Amino acid sequence: MSDLDRAIAQLRACRPIPEAEVRQLCHKARELLIEEGNVVTVNAPVTICGDIHGQFHDLMELFRVGGDVPDTNYLFMGDFVDRGFYSLESFLLLLCLKVRYPDRMTLIRGNHESRQITTVYGFYDECLRKYGSANVWRYCCDVFDYLALGAIVLGASNTLPSSSGQPAASPPADEVEIEVHNAHGHVISRFLRPKETKGDGTGGARTASPNGGLSNGVSSDSSSGSGSGSASSSAPANTGPPGSGASGSSGGSVGNPAGAVLCVHGGLSPLIDMVDKIRLLDRKQEVPHEGAMCDLLWSDPDEIDGWGLSPRGAGFLFGADIVKVFNHRNDLSLIARAHQLVMEGFKEMFDASIVTVWSAPNYCYRCGNVAALLELSEDESGLGVLARSNGEVNRSDGGVGPRGVLMENDLMGARSGPARRYRVFQAAPQDSRGMPAKKPVADYFL
Amino acid sequence: MLDISPAPSSQTMSELQRKWAKARLNSSAAHAMAPPPVLPGFDELEEDGFSSASVPNTPQDDDSSSASSLSSTGTVIPSPGRALFARPQGFPGGRSLDPIPWTTYFERELFLPSDDGTVTYHAYLTSPAPPAGPGKTGGPLFVTHHGAGSSGLSFAVLSSEIRKRLPTAGILSLDARGHGLTVTSSSSNSEGNAHTRQTSQGETEDLTLSRLSADLLAVMNLTKRAMHWPALPPIILVGHSLGGAVVTELAASLPLPSTASSSSSTPLNNNNNNPPPTDSSSSDIDLLGYAVLDVVEGSAMDALQSMQAYLATRPSGFDSLRDAVEWHVRSRTVRNAVSARASVPGLLVKHGVGGSNNTDTDPANSSNNNDTSKEEVVSGSGRGGRAGGSGRRAAARAWRWRTDLAATQPFWEGWFVGLSKKFLSGRGGKLLLLAGTDRLDTELTIGQMQGKYALQVFPEAGHFIHEDLPEKTAVALVDFYRRNDRSALVLPPKVSDLLAQGKKV
Repeated sequence: MSDLDRAIAQLRACRPIPEAEVRQLCHKARELLIEEGNVVTVNAPVTICGDIHGQFHDLMELFRVGGDVPDTNYLFMGDFVDRGFYSLESFLLLLCLKVRYPDRMTLIRGNHESRQITTVYGFYDECLRKYGSANVWRYCCDVFDYLALGAIVLGASNTLPSSSGQPAASPPADEVEIEVHNAHGHVISRFLRPKETKGDGTGGARTASPNGGLSNGVSSDSSSGSGSGSASSSAPANTGPPGSGASGSSGGSVGNPAGAVLCVHGGLSPLIDMVDKIRLLDRKQEVPHEGAMCDLLWSDPDEIDGWGLSPRGAGFLFGADIVKVFNHRNDLSLIARAHQLVMEGFKEMFDASIVTVWSAPNYCYRCGNVAALLELSEDESGLGVLARSNGEVNRSDGGVGPRGVLMENDLMGARSGPARRYRVFQAAPQDSRGMPAKKPVADYFL
Repeated sequence: MLDISPAPSSQTMSELQRKWAKARLNSSAAHAMAPPPVLPGFDELEEDGFSSASVPNTPQDDDSSSASSLSSTGTVIPSPGRALFARPQGFPGGRSLDPIPWTTYFERELFLPSDDGTVTYHAYLTSPAPPAGPGKTGGPLFVTHHGAGSSGLSFAVLSSEIRKRLPTAGILSLDARGHGLTVTSSSSNSEGNAHTRQTSQGETEDLTLSRLSADLLAVMNLTKRAMHWPALPPIILVGHSLGGAVVTELAASLPLPSTASSSSSTPLNNNNNNPPPTDSSSSDIDLLGYAVLDVVEGSAMDALQSMQAYLATRPSGFDSLRDAVEWHVRSRTVRNAVSARASVPGLLVKHGVGGSNNTDTDPANSSNNNDTSKEEVVSGSGRGGRAGGSGRRAAARAWRWRTDLAATQPFWEGWFVGLSKKFLSGRGGKLLLLAGTDRLDTELTIGQMQGKYALQVFPEAGHFIHEDLPEKTAVALVDFYRRNDRSALVLPPKVSDLLAQGKKV
């Protein structure tokens, strides 16, 4: 058993590893991460997770629900540390797994992966408490600076593989767009794809035409009527740096069938209109207070038109129009992000053009929320070509069914992303050992 | 049209205020400030600084005073960049504990009788810079509300720190009823004995949240009238503790803003001796945002249980103001000696030997009578015998708390119930400054992680964040203002606008 495997075993037991090992680990991790671009290319299948916030036991629950590493590929969208009591163990375990299985683990940076924030929200104090010095905190912060800012998932299928242990699903698998499972793998709800009214070429392409020349860029956006040509040519392709490309079996990952999925911790920036502009940033620094890098880690989608001021004091709010134009221009079918607590674990907005995934159940051990992870399956058949339908789809066919409270209303017509399976899970039974006693309340509070 | 020249208005105010001071206090000493003899640096303040037309005069004075006191004893205020993890030093031995007069920090004080005559509000004001021209917005006005048992001087040091970073800003810091020099009619029947009665009748004071928030609104409008401002400047509300509940209550109750720009074309009526009617409607308030300092519903409600026990541990009186300042610094109630020297005198009132004349006993107002020197003598003699500060010798102690906090208990719950919900629902920018993340309750934890407000935590501060860390608090507040300043806000265009212009998106 290698040192690394031993460290992983120790961390899985929620026991910190010695300072010297942390130093070594962080050094290796940096060497690995420095080779990654600002936007990591990841091939489906992959399981996308949101904030963890040091809730180690819930991270173990996440691995139980989503499958263990390396059997499942994971993409964590930041905020590993702070608030929970086991930021150290959680982050170090994820980092160990990253070093051990670089192609199966993707870690991108959240706004809490910062010196300033961790000083206030717990990680710094935890390191000090567990090691008696701030060295480990410093090593970790150095790693933070090298974490990628985003990831592009290619090759996601628009059909869900049949999940094991399920009774034969009533609708054909290729008509299911969204499936929500509970922690035991039982389907709790299912949403079908909107049916195309008339097969005008694109409609039938989903089942018939092989991948071939049907690139996503051909779908025209009726709202703009221009710009789509350039969009297809700028599809985020073949920029994949070392350290990505999980299985390599997704045959021709360049012309990804379901449209790419951009993963970022916060959201969009008014300074970033193309994914390629993210690649140009100098990310190896503390998260700045403003600018594109700050916005990517701090912004939130909101029910507004255009851009708005973020009440957080950093980043921006952005509306459906911004997301739809961005996705169209970058040939994306979906943006996955974290950063905001959603009580239901995940929340799709703006005609499923953006989804928030939150993976810290019962956040801060008291918020009462459930958590979720998002599985994107691999397009193995090569047949799963999604007809991207920009405003051409008539949703009034009644085949959609109730989209439930999680789905926002449609404004500009449907634009379906890859098939998405959400697994919703609850907090692990809390091991109260090692939990610091609650600080006494302030004695003066008037 | 808004080119208010501060000079005439300032003169007018001086006049007006003189009248008030005379009428109210039967004394002309209200604003004639003499520095304590030990602070020769303040000599040139006096009337000059007071009625001077130059708006940014006060921070200058503060600079010198705080800089000198800081340099003499080493730092108490960690500079934000350098000492990230340094905790403020405790009591710095040998430094000055002498009270600092309010004139160091504020341009003027205002005595504002309410329209119904039941209360005369007292507030400290430094005016914001007037608009540079028609259609322009002037400097913002930070309107501050202190916590229970505190006074408007709690924000004294903060105010100058704000103006160092934002010279156009104004600060209006009121004394809530039952606090400071604000006098309610029940306690102003006999002029000569106002303060003793005010303290003794603390329990009859109406300190409900709705009353206090109405007071805050009234003070803003009365100030506008007294200063002959055609309109209120853009407002940032800042409240500490109870004050945080008050500003939240006010922010949540304000109607949506009128679309009219805050710089109206109301003619300037500087020379009009008849003040315009008080506009008690709140519709013309241009509220940019509100900041709440170290109060959260959940933790406040928890703390209430132990409040009486805590209050019982406080000394019930002090021999001198220096003693009081020292106790506040030593007990780390206020962790910044300069702040304590500015704010603590406002908390206490001298209980006269045999029915004192209250104007002498006004520490916040201590004037060029010989009270100050008397106090110095007292403190000098009391220095040796200070032991523990229990209430043992309280009967003999001249300086007592101006506000009987224990008597305000019936109002405590009402102050904080529903605070978190209101905080999240009010309009305008929201900033919460806390001394520790553990103070967040569930509702605000969720709200924070949903990005509904800005949170900043200063773990090295105590409950009086703005007094312990005036520089950092000022930086946070000025940033908060800059971010929420609508006149400066330029957002990228909406997609629909771009399309309307025929642009490609």
